[in-house]
Amino acid sequence: MSFGLVSVLFVAVALVAVGAFVATWKRDLSAALAGLPLMFGGAGVAFAGAARFSAASDPRIFGQGVAALLAVAVLALVALGVGIAGRGTSR
Amino acid sequence: MDSLHAIGFYVSAAISLGGGLLVAFLPGRGSRGLAVAVSGLGIVGLYASLSADFAGLIALVCYAGCALLIAAPQYRAVDAPVGFVWRQAGAVAAAGLFAVLAYAAFRGDFVHATFKGGEIGTAAIGQFLFAHDALATEAVGALVLVALAGATAAWRLRERGR
Repeated sequence: MSFGLVSVLFVAVALVAVGAFVATWKRDLSAALAGLPLMFGGAGVAFAGAARFSAASDPRIFGQGVAALLAVAVLALVALGVGIAGRGTSR
Repeated sequence: MDSLHAIGFYVSAAISLGGGLLVAFLPGRGSRGLAVAVSGLGIVGLYASLSADFAGLIALVCYAGCALLIAAPQYRAVDAPVGFVWRQAGAVAAAGLFAVLAYAAFRGDFVHATFKGGEIGTAAIGQFLFAHDALATEAVGALVLVALAGATAAWRLRERGR
């Protein structure tokens, strides 16, 4: 059993699509924020997969760095969104 | 690529996608936050099976924070003024996005290469972040500042509501 870049990209694309579905399907905008971690996670998985299966001779760290940056970025965005939405009603 | 990595990859993919679907369909902030945590755990597993353990550790902390923020009591609902038809169109567009990107991934022609890096690669990433791309590290610092400012705003609103 093995997997390659195509499998990684399939999973990444599915994560982005599920995140986009959450972001558009939820009527509550704060709940739609929960789609952001999925979309950013999918992008990070694609970057990490490209770094893992890169044809370069030395290990490509750039993809892993971008994946870490995306994780921090999504935490920032969710915190900002929850903070901005703090004026609504609790549910 | 040994079988253990492949099994870990497919199990993590199932967990992350299952958690993502739970995020879409579960009601309530608590269960939604738990689903985000499950999905984040799957994404961390994907990073680990792709030999990106350092990014996985950072993602673990960040996704735990996201889950806590989504499930926290200071969560407030904001109803969108968008009708059902537009939301349905958005869902169909998400399915179309998946179809287009999956087709592009399937039709792509990729070179098979041997990975020579380690499992964690902390030293290489540290050199990358602090020697080669220091500006990117400062951008991460700015993002952390935005996250802390947002969390502080949420905390202040909760305190004001008491």
